[in-house]
Amino acid sequence: MSRPAPTGEEVKHDPAKPIPSCLASSDTSSIIRIDHLTKIFYEKNRTVTAVDDITLDVRRGEIFGLLGPNGAGKSTLIRVLTTLLRPTSGTACVDTYDIIRDPEKIRSIIGVCPQNSTLDVELTAYDNLEFYGKLVNVDDSILDQRIWELLKMTELTDRAHMKVQTFSGGMRRKLEIVRAFIHHPLILFLDEPTIGLDPEARHEVWQQIAKLNEEKTTIILTTHYMDEAEKLCNRIAFVDKGRLIALDVLDNLKQLIPAGDLIEIGFDRIEDRIPPALREIALINSVEVKDHRVIISAKNGSKILPEIVAVFEKFSVPMTSISIRSPSLEDVFIHLTGKKLDDGINHEPKPEQRGRSS
Amino acid sequence: MIRGAVAIFKRDFKKFLSNPFVVIMTLMMPIMYLVIFGNAFGGTISHIPVGVVQEVPPNIDTPLFTSATIALNHIPQKDAEKLLDVTVYTDETAAKADLKKGLLSAVVVFPSAISNDHAVRLYVDSSNPVIPALVESAVRRVISALGADNPVIVYKIYGDIKYIQFFGVGVIMMAIFTSTMFGGGIALIRDREAGIHEGYLVTPVQRTSIIAGIISSGTVRAFIAGFTIFLIDILITGIVLQSFEDFLLVILVILIACVGVTSLVVSFASRFSAQQEYASVVAFLNLILFMTSGAFYPVQGMPDWLRWITVINPEYYGVDALRSIILRGQGLAIIWTDLVALLIFSGAMFILGIATYRRTLE
Repeated sequence: MSRPAPTGEEVKHDPAKPIPSCLASSDTSSIIRIDHLTKIFYEKNRTVTAVDDITLDVRRGEIFGLLGPNGAGKSTLIRVLTTLLRPTSGTACVDTYDIIRDPEKIRSIIGVCPQNSTLDVELTAYDNLEFYGKLVNVDDSILDQRIWELLKMTELTDRAHMKVQTFSGGMRRKLEIVRAFIHHPLILFLDEPTIGLDPEARHEVWQQIAKLNEEKTTIILTTHYMDEAEKLCNRIAFVDKGRLIALDVLDNLKQLIPAGDLIEIGFDRIEDRIPPALREIALINSVEVKDHRVIISAKNGSKILPEIVAVFEKFSVPMTSISIRSPSLEDVFIHLTGKKLDDGINHEPKPEQRGRSS
Repeated sequence: MIRGAVAIFKRDFKKFLSNPFVVIMTLMMPIMYLVIFGNAFGGTISHIPVGVVQEVPPNIDTPLFTSATIALNHIPQKDAEKLLDVTVYTDETAAKADLKKGLLSAVVVFPSAISNDHAVRLYVDSSNPVIPALVESAVRRVISALGADNPVIVYKIYGDIKYIQFFGVGVIMMAIFTSTMFGGGIALIRDREAGIHEGYLVTPVQRTSIIAGIISSGTVRAFIAGFTIFLIDILITGIVLQSFEDFLLVILVILIACVGVTSLVVSFASRFSAQQEYASVVAFLNLILFMTSGAFYPVQGMPDWLRWITVINPEYYGVDALRSIILRGQGLAIIWTDLVALLIFSGAMFILGIATYRRTLE
């Protein structure tokens, strides 16, 4: 069932619209390149644009976070990248393969842990891993050893031959995540890996993910928990209503809030000359004195902290406490979209559905 | 209590109405029972192939032979085509050979003269539960109408075959089909319903592998069912196999029939996403295929429009091949056409199953 190699196909194609080849990418630092990707679902009497013209790159070896509320299009984007859905328009390259032209090649280099459990609960943990291992072509000679390795990693060794339906939610999730990793994929997709887990189980899953990333696997995870993204991800993409709103490393995202960091310094007595002196520091936005505390709002708070301390020392005012609080990702998200992250599914009726022509 | 009952009723009824496919199938089922049951059984059998031979000597056709041949060939039936299709043979051995091959349902050998000590010999294919009696009474009527008092001696070439033996062979096919209803491909649909398929669709596993794997597992399950019923048939209906080769041949036919029926069912399963829809379609298929397989009643009794279904019905070929071996002791030389038909059918269904299997979530 081999197809002839598409020699010269690129040449024959309309030169005005050349197909960007995934192979010919000069940028080897990015492992996924998404180019104006759109996915529209056509339902009976309406169309839903789940992914709306998203363009972004994922770098080799990073933990990339897709953060957004429920219904933002994160899972749809993952499903398009994992070849489960075809894009309506736009393209994406996963490693050197095009998602439309080479879905089979992509399937052999990725590991996926979908949002909803896809473990066969009637099978044992071992059987689930074995089934998946065979489908992803793990060599039979190392499969057994690999399964035990993964079971050990998840501390499920003693439950290897118990049916998955007897497992707790956390155990299932961990098993499913390592299952996606059984063949050492180049890229691991984790769709809401900790949804519905208790805090302890979430921590265990996080440790797992960090451990897997150490093995040079690029990890793409979606989440609507900001602490999860903050804790795990190198770079974070904010997605809302199918659109990419922001993409950067955590610290830079936080810079998007004009107010910046909040620095609180406690004292017993204040010298009146301190606030004006503080205001002279370039990056400080505002200084406020309030019951034995100075509240300073500044961009890049940690960098200017020594300067602030120097001002206090200059006037010989002893400090009783110092705290810096960065704005949380949630603050950034609210700033960018005007709504909270876990608002749930925002099914605001669209104006065109509501509006009546009269 | 009433509130609860009403709520449960409403919920259930809403679901029922929201699935028009199942609604239609629910209504179609009894209608099809009426039409197919009504036509598959008790239909008037016509065009029974019969061979006639004149005993030698003399080497010329006697008046009895000529008149009887014409009369047999023109037996009218009320509201149906003529009863017999007569072929004249010059050689008794050739006629009997065609009877053995199943090309003829009976051979009538006429004696040289009209006399009560020259018997008309009637050889019938006794593996059919209905046709021998029809032919015998036709022959007796024709002879007495010609004023001849020759006795008629009936030779059942496969001995006395009871209806339960005839039917028992058909039940093997039914066992195969029933087991495929639960085993053949329902796993695909359950995976889809539970969303488990998303887990393996992102692996490099190919559609061909998925369908081939499901068909293999379904085939083994169906084989176990079919073979078990075959053993039960031997025990309770008293069928006797002539040789160990026949036994092996039966196993081969059951196996190939299992592949055929399972492929058919899986080709449907590869498209459906709800067990309810699938179950109603498969139950419907089971009815049509089993009724038209000839398991209950010879296919000769069916109207033409129903008989064309037998042409594409794998169960028909399975039943035919099994009867050939078990009831008639025939070998590969006769049943190879059935096997080829089953294999072609299986291949087509396998390809259809692969073609309709959705490799994506769309």
